[in-house]
Amino acid sequence: MVALVRSELQKLFTTRLWWIMLLVTLLFTGIGLGVTIGFAGQAPPGAPPTPGRETLEFQQAVWASGTGSAIFVMVLGIVMMTGEYRYQTITTTFLTTPRRGRVVTAKLAAGLLAGVLFGVASLLLIAVAVIPTVLIAGGEVTLLGGGIPRIMLGVLATSALYALFGIGLGALVRNQIAAVVGAIVWVFVIETLLTAIPALQGVGKFTPSGAAQSLIAVQVDTGFGEADLLPAWAGATVLVAYALVFAVVASLTTVRRDIT
Amino acid sequence: MTAIEIRNLAKSFGPVKAVDDVSFSVDAGTITGYLGPNGAGKTTTLRCLLGLVTADRGTALVDGRPYPALEHPLTEVGAVLEATSFHPGRTARDHLRVICTAAGLPAARADEALAQVGLAEAARKRVGEFSLGMRQRLALGTATLGRPRVLILDEPANGLDPAGIEWLRGFLRNLAHDQGVAVLVSSHVLAEVQQTVDNVVIIARGRLVHQGSLAELTGNGERPVRVHAAEADRLVPALEAEGARVERAGDGVLRFYGVDAETVGRAVLEERVLVTELVRERSDLQEIFMQLTRET
Repeated sequence: MVALVRSELQKLFTTRLWWIMLLVTLLFTGIGLGVTIGFAGQAPPGAPPTPGRETLEFQQAVWASGTGSAIFVMVLGIVMMTGEYRYQTITTTFLTTPRRGRVVTAKLAAGLLAGVLFGVASLLLIAVAVIPTVLIAGGEVTLLGGGIPRIMLGVLATSALYALFGIGLGALVRNQIAAVVGAIVWVFVIETLLTAIPALQGVGKFTPSGAAQSLIAVQVDTGFGEADLLPAWAGATVLVAYALVFAVVASLTTVRRDIT
Repeated sequence: MTAIEIRNLAKSFGPVKAVDDVSFSVDAGTITGYLGPNGAGKTTTLRCLLGLVTADRGTALVDGRPYPALEHPLTEVGAVLEATSFHPGRTARDHLRVICTAAGLPAARADEALAQVGLAEAARKRVGEFSLGMRQRLALGTATLGRPRVLILDEPANGLDPAGIEWLRGFLRNLAHDQGVAVLVSSHVLAEVQQTVDNVVIIARGRLVHQGSLAELTGNGERPVRVHAAEADRLVPALEAEGARVERAGDGVLRFYGVDAETVGRAVLEERVLVTELVRERSDLQEIFMQLTRET
């Protein structure tokens, strides 16, 4: 099993995709950081000002922005699966390991590791931005208290689990473009609406991103009032449940299908 | 020793019977040609044998076991299925190394296999830059990575130039006749494998139409007597009385099946027909192949 996971990681790191996705992830996180830092302490029209750069709330909000790039990890997961069908390498993969359940398990494990790696990269970028910003603003840098460790863990877990979502979706849909477009529409349109509009948050808190937000919950008033979120433990449970569902979907759709 | 055994294999895709009750076997140290027109069911048979497609009925065994039950499949069976099953952005060497890792083979095997198929120079090139012939070589390198005792190839000559086909023949003969590997190679062109194979299995419309040695196949073919004569038609009643079947091949040329040249010669003498050509035709493997696989 260890050999299979290593083989899957080797597949990932011997093509260009991973570092392109990593660059995009860091770019996206960087833009988010720029906005959060730039507008800190300013008041949007008709709303109270956001926390200033010297405050703990500011640091919480910046660390929490690390989940914004989860979609790119999901795309990475999708391509890990659909790429095998697109280039027909799935044939060689299954000839090498005819017990397909093992292949799926190895892919999920490799995806999980890649997700953690991307999460760590995002957190490092955030650290590089937030620490000097807080110091310059005359605040006190908090890393081990004030809910920051929980937020960091939340970012890592979200990144890792979204890779699993991608692999599961890729196994189900198989068509790379359809799967990627579906994932983008889901994350940027459907989930965004469900989690942002107060009337829909009763549903939205059970979506993957709603559950992820509960892990990194910082009670920042966005102008829409306080978000309706699950408690952190329930959010974690919902995310793991999604990951399990996607893992089962990935296995069931892959194990029996004829490879022609 | 039986290396591959297929018994009563059947597989349908919707209403199409792709493989219909096919049985044959391949012995160690021999090359068997699996022949049939495109769409005859060759690829489906091979994919059932390799556990990629689940058969509706029947069994397909390698060394007495179904492929998915093999503990280290790459060290027992190598397969070449499509020329395109590579990621274009991965180098040839990385492609093989990924498989080595998954199969528990030492990474050094990747370089050895590349050298064996003549791709050592191109090891660090991305497969996207490869020609079709290079891809076929890489596919062969992939198949022989685990030094298997059984080799299964689906249309391996597709896209190879004449020199490449000659190289492939030598490669397969060496594996089978010198190293005792059982080779099953499919093709839709008999001439392509005619010089290489020991045995032939012919399939048409999903059903087996012939199994045996190449020599048996030639023996089965009818060798007609061809007569070229302006008044050849005058020979027909006498020869039909002898049990001959007649095929009109055009201007004054007739083929008589089921009679020998002497019988035809006697008819010529008795009917006093001026003959410009009278010959027993050579058996043409391609013609036999066409006869066997013709749409009925």
